[in-house]
Amino acid sequence: MTTTGQTAPPAPRERIQAVPLRHPGRWVSAAVLGFLVIFLLQGWVANPRMEWKVVGEYLFSPAVLSGLGTTLLLTLLAMLVGVAGGIVLAVLRMSPNPLLAALSAFYIWVFRGVPLLVQLLFWYFLSAVVPKIGLGVPWGPTFFEVDTNLIITQLTAAVLGLGLHEAAYMAEIVRAGMTSVDHGQTEAAHALGLTRFQTLRKIILPQAMRVIIPPTGNQVVSMLKTTSLVFAIAVPELLTSIQGIYSRNFQQVALLTVACFWYLVATTVLNAGQHYIERRFSR
Amino acid sequence: MTTLIRAEGVHKRFGALDVLKGIDLEVAEGEVLAVIGPSGSGKSTFLRCINHLERIDAGRLYFRDHLIGYEERDGKVYELPDKAIAAQRVDIGMVFQRFNLFPHMTALENIMMAPIMVKKEPKAEVRERAHALLTRVGLADKANSRPDQLSGGQQQRVAIARALAMRPDLMLFDEPTSALDPELVGEVLDVMRDLVREDGMTMIIVTHEMGFAREVCDTIVFMDDGVVVESGPPGAVLGEPRHERTRAFLSKVL
Repeated sequence: MTTTGQTAPPAPRERIQAVPLRHPGRWVSAAVLGFLVIFLLQGWVANPRMEWKVVGEYLFSPAVLSGLGTTLLLTLLAMLVGVAGGIVLAVLRMSPNPLLAALSAFYIWVFRGVPLLVQLLFWYFLSAVVPKIGLGVPWGPTFFEVDTNLIITQLTAAVLGLGLHEAAYMAEIVRAGMTSVDHGQTEAAHALGLTRFQTLRKIILPQAMRVIIPPTGNQVVSMLKTTSLVFAIAVPELLTSIQGIYSRNFQQVALLTVACFWYLVATTVLNAGQHYIERRFSR
Repeated sequence: MTTLIRAEGVHKRFGALDVLKGIDLEVAEGEVLAVIGPSGSGKSTFLRCINHLERIDAGRLYFRDHLIGYEERDGKVYELPDKAIAAQRVDIGMVFQRFNLFPHMTALENIMMAPIMVKKEPKAEVRERAHALLTRVGLADKANSRPDQLSGGQQQRVAIARALAMRPDLMLFDEPTSALDPELVGEVLDVMRDLVREDGMTMIIVTHEMGFAREVCDTIVFMDDGVVVESGPPGAVLGEPRHERTRAFLSKVL
């Protein structure tokens, strides 16, 4: 025995053919879940009182589709107001002018602090306290004025309510994006003779977009669902249309199923878009 | 020779910390000046005061007989508005330790941006000049590269070209090679040397490259603890330093 202890036997080079580890817990949980799913589906899908015929009937009905269109339009307009307002608020918040910074902070405090539903109702009933909106010198002559009700229609009240509320949240997102840009960028731009505003527009905001866009995608998806709140001021969006139909035929659950279907379709499409955008901007 | 920069008793403090404690200095047109000294001596801060990236707290700092960042009328000093400060900076180029190229633009766009945005020069003319500058710093083939595709040395050379595109009268270099890998230092120093020899550019260089300072600079200023300890031609300051602090510093870096 002269070789023992000198060299270890060489490790075998073929692929390891190990016996796989058993996962009994997975089988048990699959069985339990499967049972629950079948039980719930049976109670919903196969429920004779659940009128699937009604769901099919209204899924593509003009009233529902037009409601969906209004929902999408409202999402778009409210986000436009929200993003534009958010950028302005963030720039003011970071302004060296203490008054403007305080104004922005105050705005954000108010619009994040008051429930959105209250804000929507507030804009809707604005005409009760401000019956006329016009242009003129305060306490002086007025050049023109119109009834508040003519300008603040249900749709504008909804866009204002959703958009101004969104702006407060977007402001924080934009601010986070702007502070993420290295201060050396500002110094380099200033050293080249750019003014503060030029630096903001050409150097800071384009770079902040990387950080701003992904959470903004989230906000769009969230906004799409939040628009359903405006049924409280009777804007004919998806939920309001659905509600209008079931108040006549009393098929609440069937019609709310139609609403769920369209909200899910829209959020799925938006989520896919957001996923694509996030991949693009994470590079 | 006309005086380009004149500092008289320049003070700067950050909170409770006195960073500059009375700097007196003159830089003539065409002069190349190196500022050396230990870290924390205030040399970078002084450089940043020259284009008003930092505002001075006391004393006077002149560029071509105009106060930098301020205006003096009827015995009173007034702050200048943002636009006037930006206009003052147009004639002063600056190169940073960390390059600070704009990452969302190509090398060419980095160079072209300021002449178009600030000086409103015609785009075609600026493009031509930008290409010429890239050729000059040896990066003609990198016009369409983005900063993250370039090495540190290449980025710093683009940064120099970017500053030169504004046709400045004075170039400030804030430790331009300190963030570079050792083998990339030479290519940046070559560009700076060329700028002195070909253009006779007035330059103020904060640096730790003593060999380069000795070779290229007309004057060396040694700063320590917020004051100018001594200044003079490289042979005198580096060769026969008169002050103990200078000797102590040089014994560590040479």
